[in-house]
Amino acid sequence: MNTNTLSRNTILLIEDEENIRSFISTTLKNQGYKIITAATGTEGLHLSASLCPDVILLDLGLPDMDGMDIIRQLRTWTSVPVIVISARSNEHEKAKALDCGADDYITKPFSTVELLARIRTSLRHSSQMSDQPAMHQKPYHHKALTINYSDHVVTLEGNIIHLTQIEYKLLTLLARNSGKVLTYTFIMEKIWGPYVDNNNQILRVNMANIRRKIEKNPAAPEYVFTEIGIGYRMAESD
Amino acid sequence: MAHKSGFQKRKMSSGVILRDTLLTLLILLVATAIAFGFFHVVPENSANITLVYITALVLTARFTEGYFYGVAASLVSVVAINYLFTYPFFRVNFTLTGYPVTFLFTLLISIIVSALTTRLKEQADALVEREKLLMDAEKEKMRANLLRSVSHDLRTPLTGIIGNSTTYIDNSESLTDQEKLRLVEHIREDSNWLLNMVENLLSVTRINQNSMKIATSLESVEEVVSEALLRFRKRLPDVAVTVQVPEDFLMVPMDAMLIEQVIINLLENAAVHSGSELPVELTVSNDEKKVVFHVKDYGVGIDPNKLDTIFDGSSYTPDSASDGHRGMGIGLSICKTIIAAHNGEISAVNHTCGCEFTFTLPITSEK
Repeated sequence: MNTNTLSRNTILLIEDEENIRSFISTTLKNQGYKIITAATGTEGLHLSASLCPDVILLDLGLPDMDGMDIIRQLRTWTSVPVIVISARSNEHEKAKALDCGADDYITKPFSTVELLARIRTSLRHSSQMSDQPAMHQKPYHHKALTINYSDHVVTLEGNIIHLTQIEYKLLTLLARNSGKVLTYTFIMEKIWGPYVDNNNQILRVNMANIRRKIEKNPAAPEYVFTEIGIGYRMAESD
Repeated sequence: MAHKSGFQKRKMSSGVILRDTLLTLLILLVATAIAFGFFHVVPENSANITLVYITALVLTARFTEGYFYGVAASLVSVVAINYLFTYPFFRVNFTLTGYPVTFLFTLLISIIVSALTTRLKEQADALVEREKLLMDAEKEKMRANLLRSVSHDLRTPLTGIIGNSTTYIDNSESLTDQEKLRLVEHIREDSNWLLNMVENLLSVTRINQNSMKIATSLESVEEVVSEALLRFRKRLPDVAVTVQVPEDFLMVPMDAMLIEQVIINLLENAAVHSGSELPVELTVSNDEKKVVFHVKDYGVGIDPNKLDTIFDGSSYTPDSASDGHRGMGIGLSICKTIIAAHNGEISAVNHTCGCEFTFTLPITSEK
């Protein structure tokens, strides 16, 4: 991987386990990132305030503070991307962290490839936020799928795909946040408004319909991936 | 009259008393209505009327608890027959010839039927009790098997990890780079295997140990299959799998994490242990009552002697350990535990060129 194209982005890693800290630091340093580490939540909050990192990697199981509290406190003053590192078994915790304001999550144990991809996505999205209007015009493109936001046209291998209003809104929401996981709650509120009840069956039915229109094999999707118990993630735009 | 029956083990709650009283009254009313009907059509034949009441008695004794309602119903019936259907009508007259005999027999019938039905209920209770004990024993056996295979299966990769890393540290000066890489590769391999096992074990903790039940929610079959496949590909990227799901959009109650674990275990079993030449096939089919998942491989098949016990976790035997494959025993026994907790079924069969694992999930959740 080319280490020069990535400018020295600063990453703050808040993690209490020394072995994990050391391997993540080594990997990220090798990729050309500048890395700061904190072993406790308090230290992490201090460092994030004083050093203004570009991405924060946060382990949810810290000894001194609840991970959710750290996210909430961070969100009172910064929109820096927060990637949560969590243990597998509880989907609820991940969904909660995302709804609290975390940008993405990664499950232990993860590969370095996965970690780097998440960091890249987060950096890209945070830079997009500063020049949003321009980004709206840039079409989504991945493999054979293209979404042209300005013309409201979705094509697959050059053929126009006919989507309903809701399906189009859903797909573009996912595409604009491609590479990032969006929770059921977030999607439901964006598409059906804040007063929608929390039964997400309608969302799943719509997703099933979209899948039948854009995926060759709904059981082996290429564009929209399910994260059960949490939400959906669309493959990153090329 | 209301003697508390010694047979009754269950305490009578007020709800049961109310229900039984109402039931008794209802049965008697219906019987009286039918009897009236008969009486109007064929007034001469009073035997029919007695039969109607006797049927009512039997039903009362059958569906109420203890003796009381049956006996009470028999008294009411005797009086009702006398009052309503024998001359002089609408007057109680116990001086009719043979009346004490009728009275005695109805009473006798209701007592006998009550005794029989009480016995029947007791036997049914005992049967349920025994079944529960059997199930407990079965669970205990499953747990013991699991523990046994787990301790063996965990020790092996740990030995590898500790051994390889110790070798690396102790001999770091004399080892060539390539040898070092080999050692670290082995450590990674063993850790991944360990991780897989731990994930399997963790999944079991999602099952309630007492009821062997799980918290299910409605999940889309294609989403679960696709996520399982993604996780599987992450672990074993080189294994070819073809997958097919029904065109219908299916929502089935399940614990998605657990079902994914089952799919992953079966895919891994098919890919690693069968030596399948062709891609492993994962297909899902459905009917009104259930969804059926098939994992089919084209490998060596399963030893017919082991087919019956393959899900017991006991398939770890000295000779299966020496075939060079790491124990799949725990993976498959966990599959069985998970599917059983979903009220589904899991089975394995050999086909002409390999084997096929099948498991089902009921579409409607059981109350």
